[in-house]
Amino acid sequence: MQFNPCMKHKLIRDSARHFAETELAPIAAEIDKNATFPTAVAEKMKKLNYFGLQVPKEFGGAALDSVSAAIVVEELSRVCAAVGLCVTVHNGVAVFPFLQFGNKKQNEHYLPKLASGEMIGAFSLTEANAGSDAGSVETTAVQDGKGYVLNGTKIFVTNGGICDLALIFALTNSDQKQLQSSVFIVESSCEGFLRGELEDLCGMRANPVSSLFFENCRVPEENILGKLGMGMKIGMTTLDNGRIGVAAQALGIAQGAFEAAVKYAKERQQFKKPIASLQTIQNYIADMATEQAAARLLLYRACELKDAGEPYGCEAAMAKLYCSTLASKTTSLAVQIHGGYGYSKEYDVERYFRDAKVTEIYEGTSEIQRMVIARAVLSKLTL
Amino acid sequence: MLKLVVCIKQVPMVTELPWDEKTGTLRRDLAPGMMNPACKHALEAALQIKEKHSAHLTVITMGPPAAKEVLYEALAMGADSTILICDKILAGSDTYATSWILAQTINKQCDKADLILCGAFTADSETAQVGPQLAERMNLPAVAYAEKIEVNGRTLRVRRIVDNFRETMEMECPALVTVSMENYLPRYVGLGGLQSAFDENQIKVMDTATLGIVAADVQKEGSRTKVRRVFLRKTQKENEFFTGVAVNVVHEFLNKYERKISTVIGKSIEGKERTRGK
Repeated sequence: MQFNPCMKHKLIRDSARHFAETELAPIAAEIDKNATFPTAVAEKMKKLNYFGLQVPKEFGGAALDSVSAAIVVEELSRVCAAVGLCVTVHNGVAVFPFLQFGNKKQNEHYLPKLASGEMIGAFSLTEANAGSDAGSVETTAVQDGKGYVLNGTKIFVTNGGICDLALIFALTNSDQKQLQSSVFIVESSCEGFLRGELEDLCGMRANPVSSLFFENCRVPEENILGKLGMGMKIGMTTLDNGRIGVAAQALGIAQGAFEAAVKYAKERQQFKKPIASLQTIQNYIADMATEQAAARLLLYRACELKDAGEPYGCEAAMAKLYCSTLASKTTSLAVQIHGGYGYSKEYDVERYFRDAKVTEIYEGTSEIQRMVIARAVLSKLTL
Repeated sequence: MLKLVVCIKQVPMVTELPWDEKTGTLRRDLAPGMMNPACKHALEAALQIKEKHSAHLTVITMGPPAAKEVLYEALAMGADSTILICDKILAGSDTYATSWILAQTINKQCDKADLILCGAFTADSETAQVGPQLAERMNLPAVAYAEKIEVNGRTLRVRRIVDNFRETMEMECPALVTVSMENYLPRYVGLGGLQSAFDENQIKVMDTATLGIVAADVQKEGSRTKVRRVFLRKTQKENEFFTGVAVNVVHEFLNKYERKISTVIGKSIEGKERTRGK
């Protein structure tokens, strides 16, 4: 059991941190305010393998282990959660399904483009009536000759405004008695692939989250990922992995807010002394530091299990639940420590506070994570 | 093919480190390490030369096993091979001894190196001595504080800024150049490059026995400097507050500091603007 970061993990963290602090820190507040995606920075990230974190070398990826990939997402999110979100969704839920379920032809065609960032990916499960209940998807894919015709609307699609490729969950059997969903690889250039307006969200504002509309969108049969009817399996497997990414993102946001709070507590003078010398503030700082250390161990445990080929769904859910709860709590405390200034857009903690909340909602709400964890615990023969 | 060598150093990641009062050395163990910034600029210069000309790039560092980290980083950035000089008997070597160790290593491991690059100075001790001393040890022509290096066959054209003058010098390979931080902004480290650096592990670890270095030439015996005392400089700055009506405050300030300001800016500030206010 190894608890200290190895040399590689330290270097990965240093490199991602240096990049984030140099390229993202100067613009993070502005792109949040204007709700614009930093295209120029993303271009630099493409050349540095940020879009092929765990893609094998043969397809042009970085072939990182899962702890390294989590560290990268942590470090980006520590500075700019919206860009961390773009990277974790692309890698965690758009690229990952190819690695797990893609056939040789699909992987040879798509993985090099995804790994190089030539194509930005999205994952589209959520609909107006299908959120936590993934089985209620209403988008349909009806076979027509050697292809399928997609109709339906996906909402809250992360990267929706910029994606070149989306994985679409759609019903492939119109017989209501035997509903089954399948996953289709749909390129944005397909006729009938339409984007909605960008969502005006509370946080993660620099990520172009949008709806996607499919109006008689025809895709060839070979664009079915895995096999027909595997939608639920692909969805659940992918979400397990996506939860590691969101946990890393939440932890990164918490880290950023924590560092800002500690720095401010040392500088801010009240009663003629730094507020860090007050016991109440020290208690906040101690709790934040302890919970972050615990969260990090939970997250890396899920990563290690995944890389060892062991089941990790329950551990990923635990990591996601704990890290996202921590992110909301830590960012709230960071605002509290900053007092009135923390409620102002002049300080980064205001942005961290808004960004943190959604980590408790997407990729499975905290309530769903508890369901996943409870199911795993209750199904065990011995505890 | 050009043979390039870059000597780099791992330094602590913080600007101020506590001293060990007994030994007079920095408590380097208290902070994580990183590649010395000027060394990174030197490495970037070498990488740009390598991109333009056919070249093989070897990166060398001396330090404890943890110093491997900066070599992995160098490999990720584009170095072809690396050497870690690692031996307990090297501890306590000053710049004079260090330059000897580096010279021995380059002579034995990088035969016929065409160009040796070093960072102009290090962030932890700032002596700026190792590069020039290494050139002396190897009997090579050298230019320090370079901001631009052009390679034309066997001729090097090196530009530097010293005392506000820009100098351009030419010399023949083999030669040594120390690189300042004016130019050659280091590239970002790619994630795939880092993974490959660890997968391929092109680091040769060498001890003094292999390099033919004897204790008498290194450590305290081989060093020419001795730290007599280490102390923290006391801050002598104090804030001074002028209060009252603005016009009076300005006059009071100028009456007190006029001469000092004039000295600093090189001209008198007694002028019409001021007399008009009186």
